[in-house]
Amino acid sequence: MAKEKRDIEIKSRADTLPLMGPDVRPWPVTPPPSPEECMKVYEKRKAGEFGKFLEDNLRLDYRFDKPEALKDFKMLGMGLWRMGHKFCTGLLAEQGMEFINIEPPTGDPARQLTPFGREEYMLKDKAAGTPCGLDFLHELRNAQSITLNIETVEGREIYKKLAMLVDVIVEEYPPGYMDSLGLGYRQLSKLNPGLIYCWIGQRGQWGPMKDEVSKFGQWMLSPFGACADSWVANTGFPPDQCPRGGKGGDPVRSGVWLDDYVAGEQSAVSILAALYYREEFRGGGQFIETTAAEALMDILDFDITWYGFNKSIKARTGAWDPNLNQYEWNPCKDGYMMIGGQTDRLWYRIGMCIERDLPMFGRLIHEDPLLKEMAARNALQSLIKTYTVTTKWLRDINRIEAETKLMEYEIAAGPILYIDEVCEFPHFKYRPWVNTIEDEQYGTVLYAESCGAYQHRTPARVKWLGRPLGHDNGEVYKRYLGYGPMKLRELKAKGVI
Amino acid sequence: MFEDDIKKLKVCDFDELPGPKSKEELDEMKAPFEDYCRKAFDVGNEFVKPDALKGIRWLSTTMYIFTPHSVANIAELGAECIKIEMPRMGDAMRHTSPFNEAYLYPLHDTRPMSGTGLGFTNANVNKYFVTLDYHVPEAKKLYYNLVRQSDGLTECYRHGTFDRWKQGYRDLMEINPRFIYVWGGGFGYGPKIFGGSYDILGQAHAGLSSVTGAHEDFGGHSTKATNWVIDWYSGTQITVCMLAALHYRRKTGLGTMIEFSQVQAATRCLGYTVPLYGKFGIVRQRWGNWDTQLCVHGIIMTGKTDFPDAENPQDKFETRYVMVSAFQDADFKELCNIIKKPDLFSSYKTHKERVGAPAQMEIYAAIEKWAANKSRAEVVRILKEHGLLAAPVMNDREVYECDHYRQRGTVRWNDDPLFGDVVCQSAYSAGLMSKTPRRHKWQWRPVGADNVKIYHELLGVPMSKINEMYNKGII
Repeated sequence: MAKEKRDIEIKSRADTLPLMGPDVRPWPVTPPPSPEECMKVYEKRKAGEFGKFLEDNLRLDYRFDKPEALKDFKMLGMGLWRMGHKFCTGLLAEQGMEFINIEPPTGDPARQLTPFGREEYMLKDKAAGTPCGLDFLHELRNAQSITLNIETVEGREIYKKLAMLVDVIVEEYPPGYMDSLGLGYRQLSKLNPGLIYCWIGQRGQWGPMKDEVSKFGQWMLSPFGACADSWVANTGFPPDQCPRGGKGGDPVRSGVWLDDYVAGEQSAVSILAALYYREEFRGGGQFIETTAAEALMDILDFDITWYGFNKSIKARTGAWDPNLNQYEWNPCKDGYMMIGGQTDRLWYRIGMCIERDLPMFGRLIHEDPLLKEMAARNALQSLIKTYTVTTKWLRDINRIEAETKLMEYEIAAGPILYIDEVCEFPHFKYRPWVNTIEDEQYGTVLYAESCGAYQHRTPARVKWLGRPLGHDNGEVYKRYLGYGPMKLRELKAKGVI
Repeated sequence: MFEDDIKKLKVCDFDELPGPKSKEELDEMKAPFEDYCRKAFDVGNEFVKPDALKGIRWLSTTMYIFTPHSVANIAELGAECIKIEMPRMGDAMRHTSPFNEAYLYPLHDTRPMSGTGLGFTNANVNKYFVTLDYHVPEAKKLYYNLVRQSDGLTECYRHGTFDRWKQGYRDLMEINPRFIYVWGGGFGYGPKIFGGSYDILGQAHAGLSSVTGAHEDFGGHSTKATNWVIDWYSGTQITVCMLAALHYRRKTGLGTMIEFSQVQAATRCLGYTVPLYGKFGIVRQRWGNWDTQLCVHGIIMTGKTDFPDAENPQDKFETRYVMVSAFQDADFKELCNIIKKPDLFSSYKTHKERVGAPAQMEIYAAIEKWAANKSRAEVVRILKEHGLLAAPVMNDREVYECDHYRQRGTVRWNDDPLFGDVVCQSAYSAGLMSKTPRRHKWQWRPVGADNVKIYHELLGVPMSKINEMYNKGII
């Protein structure tokens, strides 16, 4: 609630900016549910004792009271532009691995990225007032930021020294670039046989379709990966549902750099497995390569296997799932409503709910002999029929009405939420899954909480978000290589850091 | 010269000098980078190398995709994973198949109901399949004995169910303090603790689909990812948590409980969306095939398809989309010259200017106009000839036929002991590893296929007892 009435004149969007932000308009707008209310929910299913056990042992509030899982390991990050190395290192750093992110003295260009080029949506650090893009800030978690110019001879020597002192390197430069500088796995593994070296890219560092760099030096970024593995071709509405040509009926990429995220997390898995092998069996380090295209293909359901099975090329089905009925979202009065439940138990419950408002649903859907068998329900004509009648019900009601009605029947259903609604969703606020951090450099920032943070003994945690360029030069170079301020000034003058 | 320095000169050990020590090493250092990679990853010979997670045994009391995948991930890395299903019924995903069309039958068995739907693919690779009905008291002892001999368990039942059945973390930590217990589900403790969840709920509820698809001003709708992406993607993050917990246990001998919510994981990948809302109150919207932060960096439609005479409509009508990327100044200038619109470059010389929304609409329209009389292959060829980055949007057939993935071993035919030849698109594709590569041993096995192997050979249950339990429907 506003504490006092203010007279505000809004002439342009710029005037609205000071009215926003967690210090002016704190998140959450309405308070989250209380633990007492949650206890009542647990009691309803006679799980009060168990619920209390979870609250006492897994709550996010206790994460800093507990140790970190990976604190013995050290990691270097060498990447520009893409999200792959940022997400991979972010996941590991949340689990406690010490992480040094190396950027060239000019900085990662991802620092400059901001939606639609709007500089007013970048955050300025307290020390130098340099603006930084929110993607970079949000993903470089617990990273110590140092600068190093590996194009200088001295910079390469320093990089080699650092490589001898760490357990993991996550690298993302174009194929063969680090190798050509003498800093690839084959050279560094001679200096540090225990080194685990992971390269992340879009399509590969070798092979006929490996990553390319344009004539002018531009890198290949997401979604090139998703385009190369049929994820994009298979996602989106078909021209039968929406017109083609930018009007909704085309294949569509994900709104986020999804293939990069997927490659990043699989890299984290491979790195942890390689570390386990090194520690448990004294097997030494190894070379890992993850690509956005292939990591996304790994989780592309059965699509390529299906082609091998009977030459089926999966078509786009918009917001419907070709494997399950019901399992989709359809338009309703104020947005989209997702309904899911394919087993008989849920299928008839969904129907009973809809039938209350729309009696024809039972006659048309439940009594259709073709729709009685679970697997037969997802033939294409069955999907079309079911969803046509369902949407007849949905189109006259709002999301909240549909959700309330479906929840009475305990169906896994929910509206499509936009980010403001997500951040105010009671469960999100309670956990909390979006959270604020009072950052030393950037003030109060709302961020998506680490998914590994709800753990009994070693919860993952976000200690800080992205840092200004070269923020940790002094500490890291002193601690690892013994370079004091004089030496750093000298290196800076030579353009090495 | 000082004496110390002379001493140093004398002990000049060949082995301590930098550089290669043998002809093999010299060859390795001199090999072109690509050859070095090929040799390091040595595609096709994965089985002669060691397993990374040898000796780990993990129980998978899981269903659908999300939690099974988190365990399949370590099964591909060499852990021994035991999947427990309900007797006779099995995982519901076994009965799921695209448009009810594609089922795999064991080679020796063609009864109509013995097939497994392709929906089951890839989420349970390399697991052993046993059955157990937890409701029966006799089953409990088998379950506890499995827990005593295992390192961890991943489950996906409604929160509190295993606890009520006396087989949750609170009971298992008593009988095996080293046990790592994972609950994977939709929401976890809190007001919606008992809420059910699916992949699609994660996509819808957590903001991912609100930013995916064409903008409504252009006629578009929120779009579902073609795959169960939140199931898979969150499952992989569970694996990260499991392996981190294993590292901690190596040091301390202590197990733990991990509570992982897939709905949250969907918000985690939204990048700037959350801080942008928090700081400025801006609610991010969909932006279709273009990029909100880079321009030109998007997918365009060409006028002609690549295979107008093909039989399959996916080839005939859909092979007309190209990913074009030229966001740096020099690249954009070249692109404007290629499409014969040099004035576009004069209007949008800096990236900040051309990434604005009206500019993007103008620029992509101009590129599509130029491509209106060209096919996908022509557009890609022309742009690449000028040194720009462009790639076709490939469909399943093209991925299957692509030589790149064949050489890298990430799409390959597998000779499955039960199902014969099956195309394998997973495991190897999750990441190449030089010393401990992932491997794909079998896609899946029938319900209860490994009951004898696990209950008889591992837990020592006599065969007569196994038959008895089978007949009673306990296993």
